[in-house]
Amino acid sequence: MIGAVSAVTVRDLGCTYAGATRPALDGVTCDVPAGALAVVMGATGAGKSTLARCLTRLVPCFLPADLRGEVRLLGQSIEGARVGALAGTIGMVFQDFEAQLFSTDVTQEIVFGLEHTGVAPGLMPERVARALAAVGLAGFEGRDPTTLSGGEKQRLAIAGLLALRPPIMVLDEPTTDLDPTGRAEVFDVLGRLRADGLSLVLIEHDTAAAAGADLLLLLRDGRIVANGPPAALLADVEGCLAAGVRPLDVCRVFAALGLAEPPLDVATAAERLRARGLLPVVPDEPAPPSAGPAVIIEIRGLGHCYPDGRRALADVSLAIGRGEFIALVGPNGSGKTTLAKHLNGLLAPTEGRVTLEGRDVAGLPLETLAQRVGYVFQDPDHQLFAATVAEEVAFGPRNLGLPAAEVEARVLEALAAVELHEHDADPFLLDKGARQRLAVATILALRPDVLVLDEPTTGLDFREQERMLALLDRLHAAGRTIIIITHTPWVIAEHARRVVLLQGGRLRYDGPLRPFLADERLAAEAAFRPPEVTRLGRLLGCTPLSVAELVAWIGRGA
Amino acid sequence: MPLTLYVAAPSALHRLHPVTKLGLLAAFVVAAFMVDRPLLLVPLAAAIVVLLAVAGALSNVRRLRVMFLLVFSFTLVVWTFFYQSMLVPTYAGFLYGLSTAIRLATFLATGILFLSTTRVEEVAYGLGRLGLPYTIGFTLTLSFRLVPVFFDAALSVVQAQRCRGLEFGRGGLVARLRRFVPIIVPVLIGALRRADRMAMALELRGFNSGRPRTTYLRARAGRADVLAGTLAAATAATYVVLWAAGIGTLAAHP
Repeated sequence: MIGAVSAVTVRDLGCTYAGATRPALDGVTCDVPAGALAVVMGATGAGKSTLARCLTRLVPCFLPADLRGEVRLLGQSIEGARVGALAGTIGMVFQDFEAQLFSTDVTQEIVFGLEHTGVAPGLMPERVARALAAVGLAGFEGRDPTTLSGGEKQRLAIAGLLALRPPIMVLDEPTTDLDPTGRAEVFDVLGRLRADGLSLVLIEHDTAAAAGADLLLLLRDGRIVANGPPAALLADVEGCLAAGVRPLDVCRVFAALGLAEPPLDVATAAERLRARGLLPVVPDEPAPPSAGPAVIIEIRGLGHCYPDGRRALADVSLAIGRGEFIALVGPNGSGKTTLAKHLNGLLAPTEGRVTLEGRDVAGLPLETLAQRVGYVFQDPDHQLFAATVAEEVAFGPRNLGLPAAEVEARVLEALAAVELHEHDADPFLLDKGARQRLAVATILALRPDVLVLDEPTTGLDFREQERMLALLDRLHAAGRTIIIITHTPWVIAEHARRVVLLQGGRLRYDGPLRPFLADERLAAEAAFRPPEVTRLGRLLGCTPLSVAELVAWIGRGA
Repeated sequence: MPLTLYVAAPSALHRLHPVTKLGLLAAFVVAAFMVDRPLLLVPLAAAIVVLLAVAGALSNVRRLRVMFLLVFSFTLVVWTFFYQSMLVPTYAGFLYGLSTAIRLATFLATGILFLSTTRVEEVAYGLGRLGLPYTIGFTLTLSFRLVPVFFDAALSVVQAQRCRGLEFGRGGLVARLRRFVPIIVPVLIGALRRADRMAMALELRGFNSGRPRTTYLRARAGRADVLAGTLAAATAATYVVLWAAGIGTLAAHP
């Protein structure tokens, strides 16, 4: 129910962090009606998180800043309030779920906030039970949070806040670090909270999440550039792109066909296209070359058991051809990362074997492998340590014992490849997208033939994702074999050519992309949702990989 | 892997008041310190094994069996060979080594028994009841929560740097130490960043809300606590008496 009283009122809010030259927020004015779901979108650095932190007083209490304007929660100004004092008024969830849990026991985790806000112990058991039920964790009392999945941890963090009964909740990219199952769990919880009448402010990179909101705010360079019902805002494809937001596939299809007022859901879109006679005509696909590419890595009967007895992989066999672009997919815990870590000897098989051009990987020294199979970890911050960008990239070649001139040449080559031109910059001060590209450069400097990337686009905004993918496409075109682990459907559809799906440590599918996307039963089993444009295409009798493809096919039919 | 040893079981030991359990822990440690004769230490060790079985915590001993084995054999060997003179095994040394080994194993087992039957939050609560400031108890809880997270991150960093050709095993001491820089910097910076976020998350949950703090855990001492406390005190007293009477010391003790 959306009431007349605003849950959040922001008037002419400006914020300049201490030491910054440019304001992070400038003249922001908006209202979130009570009971509404407001989604905030925009590129990295647009001010989304700053806005969230201003609502909870983390700015300026934790992050010193010069604030202007006014923020009211439920009509009350929060000026001068302490963060802790607002705990029962507004809750805030972060992307990093590990940082939001402080206890070794689920019940204690929920009780934490109650103890610190002086709730009488007699009332606690009921509050704990309700909070856990609200996030679907009833029955988890007494569990150690360490044993929970990412989605469960994030839901526990939400429950810890819910126990304080805040009428307003801010969520800053709560699902970025989760797999599709975890994402669905959290969105399910948000749906229930919305039904219970909570006012929600959600910061998200996934445009699909905005489609069902009451209100969409687009931020750009600290200013609100659009504010209104999602249907109107998302129809403006150019506006979305300008704000660094990935437009919905359906809206892009309608825009490309010159149709106004695109619907936000696939089913309605398919009906409207059909009603107008805009049906795709699929050209004959050229037959695949009879002989596949030369095999570079062969995996035979691979099994892996961790020392604690947990089985992560069982009987996986596949051959990776030189120059392939493979997406390694599957739910969290399905064995993707375990499999990938066998390709360069980070893990040794407990059964079966992995060979690189016929030679057993287990017998090859690390420095040989590092020059053949590069592995880029998900979080660039797990490897950056040097004082400058150039030093960071030089680390790998130096470890190989290469002469100084060669090291220098490789640094220049790798940084040029990833388009990082600030060679003397401090790696820690780069933004996330640049740090991710730097991490790729550190591996490229070893000149590997095969590049394995674990979720290379996670946590990046749309522009940075596109940039990273363009980089991978260039490397692929130059002859490198690319293997990416990813959960992002459009990344798989638009870039990979072959899909390897793992489920419960076993190979569930290994083959070309299009049949994989067309197999609804397989997708449902693997908790995988094909991209929107593919789902739209399926309703029209085809399996397009991208918006451009579907539009071209519809053009053939017209 | 969880760091905590806590075993959720409905044993009588689990139900004891955290302060009683702290008392039991202290009593066993004091008792084991009082005597050197292996024969007198064995009953203590046996009692702990029985209590571990009652608490359903023998699995934790199995989990840490390598540690027990290492501590026991290392102590025994070192004392046997170095007790009186360098590298010459002596019987006196063997006896002293045996008693020290049993004592250390008993300490270890007592600690495991305590942590298997007491949640970290209960330990903090118990310490709080004994007058320790809340922040110290809270820091204890938080570190138990954070150490596994920290280790996970460190493992990722080590693997990520190995992918860049970093090898630990080669070169002289300085070269080896320098190789830790690429590990330590990302681990520390990551930990600091997370600590920042954690501080924010704490306050968002009402830490420093300005309202008086309440406590959910509410252990009540019962008859079992009186019984356990009395037994613990009696055990400790018995061993103190043995020590005072000179019975506990080894004959060969110089």
